[in-house]
Parts: sequence; C-alpha cells; structure tokens
Amino acid sequence: MISSANMYSAFGPAYNPHTIISDQKEPIDQELRVAGGSSGGSAAAVASGMCFASLGSDTGGSIRLPASYCGVIGFKPSYGQCSRWGLVAYASSLDTVGIITRNVHDAQLIYDIISKYDEKDPSSLPPKLRSINSSLASFDKTNSNFTDLSKLRVGIPQEYYVSELSDPIKSLWKRGISLLRSYGATIVSVSCPSTRYALPAYYILAPAEASSNLARYDGVRYGHRSDMDSKQDEKLLYTHTRSEGFGEEVKRRILLGTYTLTAGSYNNYFIYAQRIRKMVQSDFDYVFRRPNPLHLVKNESSFCNCNNDEIFEISNKLRKESHGVDVIITPVAISTSPKVKDSLSSSFLSNSDNTKSLDDSFVNAYVNDVFTIPANLAGIPAISVPFGISPIDGFPIGLQLMTQYGDEHTLFYISKVLENNK
Amino acid sequence: MIIKTFVTTYLKKTCNERFISKIKRNVTFYQYSTHLYKSNKWETIIGLEVHAQLNSKTKLFSSSSTSFNEPVNTNVSVIDAAFPGTLPQLNTKCVELAVAASLALSGNVQLVSSFDRKQYFYPDLPPGYQITQHYAPISLGGKIFLNQLDGLEYDTMVRIKQIQLEQDTGKSIHDIVPGMTLIDLNRAGTGLIEIVTEPDMRTSKEAGLTVKKLQSILRTIGSSDGNMEEGSLRCDVNVSVHEHETPYGTRCEIKNLNSIKFLMAAIDVEIERQIKELENGNKIVQETRGFDVLKNKTFRLRTKETATDYRYMPEPDLSPLILNKDYITRISNNLPELPDDLKTRIMKQYGIPLHDVIVLMNETGGVKYFEEAVKNRNPQHVSNWITHELFGLLHARNIKFSQNPVSALQLGSVIDCVDNGDITGKVGKKIIEKMISGDSRLASIIIQDEGLRQLSDINELEKICKNVILQNPEQVIHYFCFDIYFLNLLKTLFCYCS
Repeated sequence: MISSANMYSAFGPAYNPHTIISDQKEPIDQELRVAGGSSGGSAAAVASGMCFASLGSDTGGSIRLPASYCGVIGFKPSYGQCSRWGLVAYASSLDTVGIITRNVHDAQLIYDIISKYDEKDPSSLPPKLRSINSSLASFDKTNSNFTDLSKLRVGIPQEYYVSELSDPIKSLWKRGISLLRSYGATIVSVSCPSTRYALPAYYILAPAEASSNLARYDGVRYGHRSDMDSKQDEKLLYTHTRSEGFGEEVKRRILLGTYTLTAGSYNNYFIYAQRIRKMVQSDFDYVFRRPNPLHLVKNESSFCNCNNDEIFEISNKLRKESHGVDVIITPVAISTSPKVKDSLSSSFLSNSDNTKSLDDSFVNAYVNDVFTIPANLAGIPAISVPFGISPIDGFPIGLQLMTQYGDEHTLFYISKVLENNK
Repeated sequence: MIIKTFVTTYLKKTCNERFISKIKRNVTFYQYSTHLYKSNKWETIIGLEVHAQLNSKTKLFSSSSTSFNEPVNTNVSVIDAAFPGTLPQLNTKCVELAVAASLALSGNVQLVSSFDRKQYFYPDLPPGYQITQHYAPISLGGKIFLNQLDGLEYDTMVRIKQIQLEQDTGKSIHDIVPGMTLIDLNRAGTGLIEIVTEPDMRTSKEAGLTVKKLQSILRTIGSSDGNMEEGSLRCDVNVSVHEHETPYGTRCEIKNLNSIKFLMAAIDVEIERQIKELENGNKIVQETRGFDVLKNKTFRLRTKETATDYRYMPEPDLSPLILNKDYITRISNNLPELPDDLKTRIMKQYGIPLHDVIVLMNETGGVKYFEEAVKNRNPQHVSNWITHELFGLLHARNIKFSQNPVSALQLGSVIDCVDNGDITGKVGKKIIEKMISGDSRLASIIIQDEGLRQLSDINELEKICKNVILQNPEQVIHYFCFDIYFLNLLKTLFCYCS
C-alpha cells in the first residue's frame, strides 16, 4: 500500500470537490472537474497513474461513480465477499469494500486475494456458503470464447431509462448493447419495478444506519476533541466536538437518520424502506436466471447437504428453466463529471441567491446515485467499465454491469468484452 | 409469655392457611396469592427487571476478559472501546448460559432471536448504542415458584415475561476527581441477561424472595454469580398501588438498589408514599425514582417526559441467532439439579436442616463440596465445619469460596481428627487456617509433624499437671484467691509444657 487518498469529509456527497489541502483535479483535463464521491481520491490516484490499484468503499455507488468520472474500472463485489473489519462503518448493511484499477484483469487479481472469509467480520460470507456459491451453474462456466456470446442473455432494465439521462450517456449505452448483440448475445428488456423507490429507500436506510455508526465519534477515546469549555454540562463536550468535527453534509445525514429512527417515525419510514429493500432484492432474483445462493439455502435447507456436483446439476436445471438473464447493463451516472462550481452550489451554506438552482443541484447530487444504489440495496456485484468519451466535453463515461449475488466471474468476463472494445 | 407468643403464632399460621385454602378452593393454583397489604384496602403490584452478569470468561461481543477487580481500563479491546472499523463477534458461551438460564426458569427458548441497538449518548457507552434484544429476545415466558422452602409462609408463583441478552456499559465514577467524570471501560461489553417478570408480586417480601430465588437458580446453573454487592446482579423494581376491584394504578420505577434489604425497604417506603399521595387526592406521576438509604425515602430521578427515546434499530452487523432443538436438548440434559430439587434431596438424604442447606447453596460449589466431604462422615458435623468455620475463615480473609484452597479431602481429615478425639475443635480451626494459608497437607500429617496431638492418657496428664503446679507455687496460691484468671494462666502454661 502506498498511501491513503483524501475523500470529502467522510461519506460526503457524490461530488468530492474539496480536500483540506488542495482542490482535486480530474486527471485527464486541466479544466477543474470533480473526481466524484466518495472514493474520488482513490479513483484520481489510479487514473493519473500514481498507483497500480486502490481500495475504496461502495455504499451507494461511491466507487463506481468516481470510476466512471475518471475513466477507470470501479468494482463492487457482492456484500460479504470482502471483510469489513477495519473499514470505517457508514451504513453497515450496505458498505462494501471495492477495488479501483485501470483494467479488469488487475481488479480480478486483487479481488481473488482479498475475497476471503474473515471471522472478525460477522457479515463475512461463511466458507460453506462460499463453497456452495462456487458450485452453482453460471454463464462463465458455459463459455470460454470471448467472441461468442450466443449463450449469453443480457437484460436492459426499462426503469433505468430516466429523463435526466444526458444524450452522450444514452448513445454510449446503446453502443454497449449493440456490441454485445454483435457477439451473439440475446438482448432482453427486463423490468425492475421497485427501482424508482430504491433511491428514497436508500436515503432513509443509509442515513439511519450512519447516524448510529457515527455516534461513536465523541472525542472521548480518540479523534478530535473540542477545546471549548464544557464544564457546566457534560453534554456540551459531545455537542462541540461533533459540531466541529463533522462536515455539513455528514451532519445533514446524521440528523436525517436520527429523525427516521425516532419512535414516531420508525414505523413510517424505516420499516417501509426495509420493505422496499426486500422488493428490490426480489426484483433482481426474478430478473437473473442464476439462483441467489443465499435465498436458495434459506428456502431449501437440504441444499447444504448436497455435494458440489449435485449443486451444479440442480442450479443448472433451475437456470435453464428460467427466462431470466445473466447480466444487466446500465449507465453509471446521469452525466459526465460535473464542474467544481456546479457541485459547490449544492451545499446549503452556499451564498448563492438563486434558490431554485440551489434546490435543483441539491437534489441532483442525490439523483446521481439512482443507477448505482439498487446494487447496494440488493448486495449484488456491480462494475463500472470505462466505455467512451463524451463528444460534448471529452470526459469519460462508464457503463455499469450487474450480475446475480456471488456471480463475480460472469461480471469480470463480460467486463473484459466491453473493455476490449471501447 | 412464651405460651402467648406460641399461641398467637399458631393462630396466625392456621388462619393464613385457612384463608389460603379458601381461596385455593375457588381459584386454580396458578393464580398468584392475594396477600393483602396493611389496611386490606390497597393492593400492591410489583414487577422486577433483573440484570445478571453472565459467567463467561470473555465479553459478549469481544474476546477481552471479564475478570473482576482488574486495574482500570485493562480489560478493554478495540471493539469494547468502539474504535472505527471494529465489528462485534458473538461469544457462543454467553448464548449457552442464557439458554441454560431460560431452561432453569421454565422459559421457552426462541429458536430465532435477533439483536437490536438501543441508542443514546453517554461516555460510558463507547459506541453510542447498546446491543440488546428488544424486538425478539432469546426466551419468552417462564416462572419462579416460592414456598416454605424459600421462607414464604404460603405458595405463590411469579411469571417471567422474557429473558434477553445484552451488553453491559462501562462505569462512570463521579466522585473521585471534583468536576470530572472518570470512565472505566473494564465492564463495557460484558454479557448480561435481563430477566423481566410480570407484575405478579404483591409484597416487598415476595419481591425480595424472588430475587433470592433467582440468585440461587443462576448460581446453581453457573450462568451468573448473582452478587448484588459486587454488581453482578442489578435490580430495578416497578411499584404501583390500587384499590381492590379498580384497575391497576400508575407505576413508578425504582433504580440503583444495591442489596435485597434495600430493595425491600425501598418498595415499602414507595408503597407508603403512593398510598399517601392517593389518599390526599393526588395522582401518581409515572417516573423513575432512586432510593436514599439514609433518609429511607425514594426520590425522583426523571419523569416520563424527560425519558430518552432510544431509537431502537435492528443491529445490522449481526444476523439473527438461530438455535436448533438438539442444541437446546443438550444444554437441558447438562443442567445441574435446580434449587428446589436440591434442597429437598439434601435435607432428605443427609438429614441436615433447611437453614444449613441454604447457607451451603449460597456459595457456588458449596453443596458439591459438602457432598464430597460428607462421605462416611457425620453430615451434621461436616455441615457445621463448612458453614460455621470454613466459610467464616475464608470470608475474614476476603477469599471467595471459588478460590478456596482447602480441598474436601483436607477438610474431611480435620473433621476425622476432631471426631476421633485426636485434637480439639479449636486446634482443628487453627489447622484449617494453616490450610487456607497454603498448607496442602492432610490434618493427620500436620498433627504428627507439629505434635499437636491431644493427650488423653490420664496418667500422663496427671504427671504434667503436678509438674506445672510444683513449678508455679505463687500462681497456685493466687488461684485459690482469684480463680478463673489464674486457671486460664495455668492452662496456657500447661499447653506450653505438653
């Protein structure tokens, strides 16, 4: 490991415009553009050639988004594959350790090393499930020729075709689909009906968990502690320390999260959001033809006693009978990397008089996550592959691929196809 | 005078019995007794929330030690101190102890239970939340029976609502450095079970006996030391009063009670306070109160309005705890004899009185020790030596019975020597003291090595006595004048000589 990169105020918004030391510049162009958030530092370091690879954490798209802006590979594994021990927790059930590299091969190399069971992480996928998962039938086991994708079924989720999508992204998406079709893949239109609820559900669940995980930063045992006088009331020590230590966006999210967990709101917001999350997961289980190993084991406990060949046979049969797809292809972001001045105005404390644009850009900051969030809610693996350059501003655009839980090998396979043809 | 007390006690007993049997005729056994309070107008409703520290070597979610009385902030790991990036790891021993507790209390162990976060800010709670089981605890239901064996004149039953696993907090010490609160995290993260009863108790005595019974059960199965003075058992009690045939009144919670005695005293003063308020026409406000021992009064800690919203949230780092029936059966089969069965059996098998059995049961391992030592010996003697002498000597030296260095074999040898007449009781006590100090020899060997054998040969004794008298003529004369003092002096001289 060579260093750690700066990131915007821990768990900041999607922009990553400022570090404490200096402005981060998007590596390709001299004009000031943001690297994306929140693993923008990592993406910039890899893109500019500073290092071979970089680790980051992806809770709602924090790796894939900066990877798309910076034109590098951003890979998020399935939840539970890589240990979270040592990862500063933001939203425990969504945080996933991911990898940023310049090509797919490097990402796979590092993934093979770090995707091991860790007993220190209670959410780490246990060895038994890992073994069942690797025995399941999947696309990469049926194919060895990168140019013949006739056995591949590719899904295009209708709900991702949103009005905010800029034209360069739309055409790049179409180009990616055509490429796969030209290799013989069957292109299928699929539906994930819960997609439009995924974004608001995420913005209830993630801040709620974050407000809980960030409660430990009180200055008592480590970290910043306020110098201000708090002798008259011990609560003031916490108040001063946390007010000084957290950035604006973090405070915003903590307040939001605390609110949704209060006694009156819990049932109205948190529980509803959890239900939506379950729906998003079922959407993907319906869309993919490879069975989800977690739900398979839960529903048929006899599965645990089968040997590897039996598991392959059963899952292969299920896979063949299904009308589902092997992989989904979508955009990563609604635009290319935004300019610094646009991203700064999304802060509530901006001095801008133009309140309409303030609201718009504030919401836009969250809307940027709309394509990446469903993969986090469902825990499925996703990757951002740089596929082209915008004809308008010359900045990179990435395409996102998603596969069923535990199907990282198929994901790498298809990513290589895209990578070879950008 | 004696006859009068006897008659009144007899009448009281029979009246109670007649009263109780009258109720029993009309009501099934499982309804709690309606032992009326004071003026027969008011009924008291009491419920308990007991927190018992689990007897595991390491904490509930980390591998730091739970050993008692360590220097401050030494039994703390990065998980306990809630450093960034740390995650909880469930200690399966704690689960075993909780399941054992549930089975011993006749509870239903839930095959699926889950963990939740109870969130509030306080310096002795490093992560800002306590991991507990709010929505789905590990056990539901259960009961505690009280009867004569426990010291209650009638039979009653207290139902248990639930048992849940949770973490303990650290300790905040306010009074050592003025103006500062010192935090000791040794206790932070230790496993606890919280046992919540239904409001089935009607008097402070029932409440006190329920706690005692709980302590006894938990100690017997080894789930907890259940020691209120050391803090391994903490009780909060809920008290309300109401007139008969009216709905239950508003309850008040009393916290921070350090002993069963204080618990019962607090309940009694709180009942008086509530009755007085209601008789004056005031309403009872639902609040949390503490107990001032010196003033013998309860005082307000906080009201319901200022009560914290704990923002319970399912613990996202931990998956639900799933147990299977085989696991529960295995623990059930390994449960030791429970207190009620144990009491009856020991009394019957060895003929020692209930009081002795209770004292033995009060120490973890006491009964086992007794049963080992009692083989081929007089049970009453063995019981006396353990409960009167051994326990007392250990206690005087601040040694817990679990650290007792005197083996049952050693103690047995002392008892044998005393019973045989080789030594007196006093010498026997001294030998036990030696053993506590680390002497691992048997009594017979010690006696031999140090010549402590009691002389019982009359002729020899006569010779020595004559010798002493001849050598100390002054003292003999003084003896005829001043009796006892000099008799003792002669005795001491005699011991030195023999």
